[in-house]
Amino acid sequence: MNATWYYFERDLVKWIRGKVTVFSHLVTPAAWLIFVGLTLPVTFTDNYLEYLTPGIMVMSVLFAALQSGNLVIFDKVLGFLNKFFAMPPPRESYLFGTILFITFRGIIQATVIFCVAVLLGITIYSLKSVLLTYVVLFLFGILFASIATTIALAVDDHDGYAAINSMISMPLFFTSTALMPYDKMPDWLQMVASVNPVSYAIDNARALLSGSNPVIGEIVMLAVGAVIVLTICSYLFRRATL
Amino acid sequence: MIEVNDLTKYFGNLCAVDHVSLHVENGIFGLLGPNGAGKSTIVRILSTLLKPTGGNATICGYDVAREPKKVREVISYVPQEMALDIKLTGRENALLYAKLYGIADRSRKVDEVLELMELTARSDDLVRTYSGGMRRRLELAQALVHEPEVLFLDEPTLGLDVAARTKIWRHILSLQEQGIVIFMTTHYMEEADEYCDTVAIIDHGRIVALDTPERLKSEMKGEKTSLNDVFIDRVTTPEEESVFDGYKFRTMLRRRR
Repeated sequence: MNATWYYFERDLVKWIRGKVTVFSHLVTPAAWLIFVGLTLPVTFTDNYLEYLTPGIMVMSVLFAALQSGNLVIFDKVLGFLNKFFAMPPPRESYLFGTILFITFRGIIQATVIFCVAVLLGITIYSLKSVLLTYVVLFLFGILFASIATTIALAVDDHDGYAAINSMISMPLFFTSTALMPYDKMPDWLQMVASVNPVSYAIDNARALLSGSNPVIGEIVMLAVGAVIVLTICSYLFRRATL
Repeated sequence: MIEVNDLTKYFGNLCAVDHVSLHVENGIFGLLGPNGAGKSTIVRILSTLLKPTGGNATICGYDVAREPKKVREVISYVPQEMALDIKLTGRENALLYAKLYGIADRSRKVDEVLELMELTARSDDLVRTYSGGMRRRLELAQALVHEPEVLFLDEPTLGLDVAARTKIWRHILSLQEQGIVIFMTTHYMEEADEYCDTVAIIDHGRIVALDTPERLKSEMKGEKTSLNDVFIDRVTTPEEESVFDGYKFRTMLRRRR
């Protein structure tokens, strides 16, 4: 358990020292929010910014998680995993530390979005609703950080990883309820969106942040999904030869 | 200390390690061989990163396949690639290992290993600013935080200049004097000749020579034989053995002009 924390700490310090990356990680999603939220001519709501904010928060966790598979690729290609795996702490502690860091970094980004949105004038209903939103973001982050690390373990290099990342991240975002509600979508998109885990996270963040009740079924699905992928990932990590 | 019996490793149909048996009790043991002979594979099996296909190996009495955790507590493994976090300082790099090994009095221990590797003056600089030799010494410092009994070094002097190599060797020798068993691979015959107590030459996964450098050299005919001669005599590498055709090569170069 301690080792998990030490690996987390390692990633965190390395991230913070790369000042340019920190800046870019925090500014890019905010740009999304401002350029899309304040400009799109949307008719289904009179406050599109408030509608869009949960979507962009989830998006930043999603993109942050999928990009972060690179951390594992680096550690694998540069020989760190060889050294770490020849030490007493179980291999999973590396995996859990990395997944926690990836999730944490995504949540920090989401928080920046949230602050920007508040500054731009969205309403906060209650502290409880905000905290519950973070629970949803956390589950969602664990799910996609596990997916990212699993892919990273399977592919050989950065190029392969980047190819898979760009192949799945955009479609996942655009087939979700981030930009529009189910009833404004064409039928085929509605079908895809209703099974997309990204929608589950967005639906709940949106419901909670607008003061309504969460969709418990979808939260359970996210949690179950996270546990399943994490289990598969741990299993693969334990058996991996590098 | 290290006991290897009939160790075999297949990658698919490729036999990387073919019934290797070894016994190392103390001193510096050098594993020599051409590229792809199976040196690194043996080191990776002994340091619990790979499971053998057949045979077994024990370190300090612990089986590498069945008791990997016990083995990991008594060994250190420094791979070929220099894997250090360049955005962390030397001290932070060593401290990470002290934490992962669960060392009780870790800041004192880290100071001690940095001192031992002559890195104290630069310990709070980012590793980004370290030279190749310093990075290798920092890796040795990391490997020493838990006072291992066996140290596995995969090509410890690869890519370093002469001065840095000599310095690394001085440190390795002093570790050996403190009773740590060193198991290493190398391409540099002169280094193996000078520093190793025992060497094994491995070719196509099989041991083709195993003895002290002196005895291996004395078995060769002729005067002033070096370990290089022993190596070339015992090892078959079809790629390098084919005769160099000077005429053809020059014609080719001329055509390119």
